[in-house]
Amino acid sequence: MASTLLLLRRIRTAQNVSKTTRAMQMIAASKLKKAQEAALSSRPYVEKLSAVTKDLTKRVDSSSLPAYMKAGKENGKTLTVVISPDKGLCGGLVTNLAREVLLQTTKSNVFLTIGKKIEGPVSRMESQLIASFPFGNILPPFNVVYPIVQIINEQFLSGKVDKVEIISTHFVNIFVQKPQLTKLLPLVPDAITEEESKSVKPDLADAFQLFEPDLESILPDLLSRYIEMAVYQELLESYLSEQTARMFAMQNATNNAKDIIEDLKLEYNKTRQAKITAEILDITAGAAV
Amino acid sequence: MYLEIITPEKIIYKGEIDEIVVNTADGEIAVLPHHVNLFTKVMPGEVTLKVDGKEQYLAITGGFLEVSKNKATILADYAVHAEEIDVEKALEAQKRAEELLKKKKEGLTELDFASAQGELRRAILELHVASRRRHHNRPLN
Repeated sequence: MASTLLLLRRIRTAQNVSKTTRAMQMIAASKLKKAQEAALSSRPYVEKLSAVTKDLTKRVDSSSLPAYMKAGKENGKTLTVVISPDKGLCGGLVTNLAREVLLQTTKSNVFLTIGKKIEGPVSRMESQLIASFPFGNILPPFNVVYPIVQIINEQFLSGKVDKVEIISTHFVNIFVQKPQLTKLLPLVPDAITEEESKSVKPDLADAFQLFEPDLESILPDLLSRYIEMAVYQELLESYLSEQTARMFAMQNATNNAKDIIEDLKLEYNKTRQAKITAEILDITAGAAV
Repeated sequence: MYLEIITPEKIIYKGEIDEIVVNTADGEIAVLPHHVNLFTKVMPGEVTLKVDGKEQYLAITGGFLEVSKNKATILADYAVHAEEIDVEKALEAQKRAEELLKKKKEGLTELDFASAQGELRRAILELHVASRRRHHNRPLN
């Protein structure tokens, strides 16, 4: 019968699919491990750097603010950096990200995209897309940050935009990855409330600190380093989310394929049995005559 | 004095030391225990640590040094122990970078140029630090 042949073919297809998704799941799992290690190993550096930056930005005179901390001339333009993976097959990650972009931004925003998957949705928004970088399939090395930061600097320091923000998928835990908007520039020395600033200030005055050569010349370098690190953290976070999401999406796909194989096998066996029964009936009927 | 040298990749050094010598914008400075709170930019070059009278060398490509409450932290872009420097690799990197720089006129982007330049500087620095370490420990035949 043709239908058994058809069923066999469908079983084979489902088996092939499950093999592929299983392999992709395992690849994602191993990449996830590396990404987690990278995120963990850079954490001490990032923590120290942000602690130092916070401490120093509080000390700086409001009259001699470095360019990164100055609020723009309020031309209302915002540069939005969107980070997405290059490849799909990672569940709802890209869709959620695109929705967040639509919610959080307006047409007047200027966009910079990293990752092929978000390029399309952003270019369809009819806003200005100034640059687009591929994300790549490997753990992003640090030097991918430089061209991105260069464009951010160009836009912000020249006053073309007065705010810079990043939308990327944040890794909440292994089951939840959430698209999130982070404000990058201008840097605000951690919005301190009145009360807090009173309690903090005497402390700062007490702690004598020597700067070599002086704070004003160190701070710009420190801040640009801080921005590079902040962008890099977002990249790592996005990569981590992508691999986690893909691992789970592929796990689901493998399970679904297995379910389909089970169903098809049952159906195949039933048809086969029905065929045999029919044949036996034919033979016995023939013998009786 | 307690010292930590941290890079984005890992913590390179952690422990009690007697003296640190680093390059700053204004020249070389040595930091002894109980130094006044200090914050400075570290220039690319060599960092010398003195631990129990012995000197250790590290190559560093720049970063920041913070001293507060008798605890020093170096936030380095990239740092490597002199003993860990792979001379072969550094030489290779130097060659590669030099070749890239030679090709500059043949339509190399600004970024490629800068990264090649950075790589060359790092290779030269590593070789320099490595050769000093050899000089100290066992003279070259």
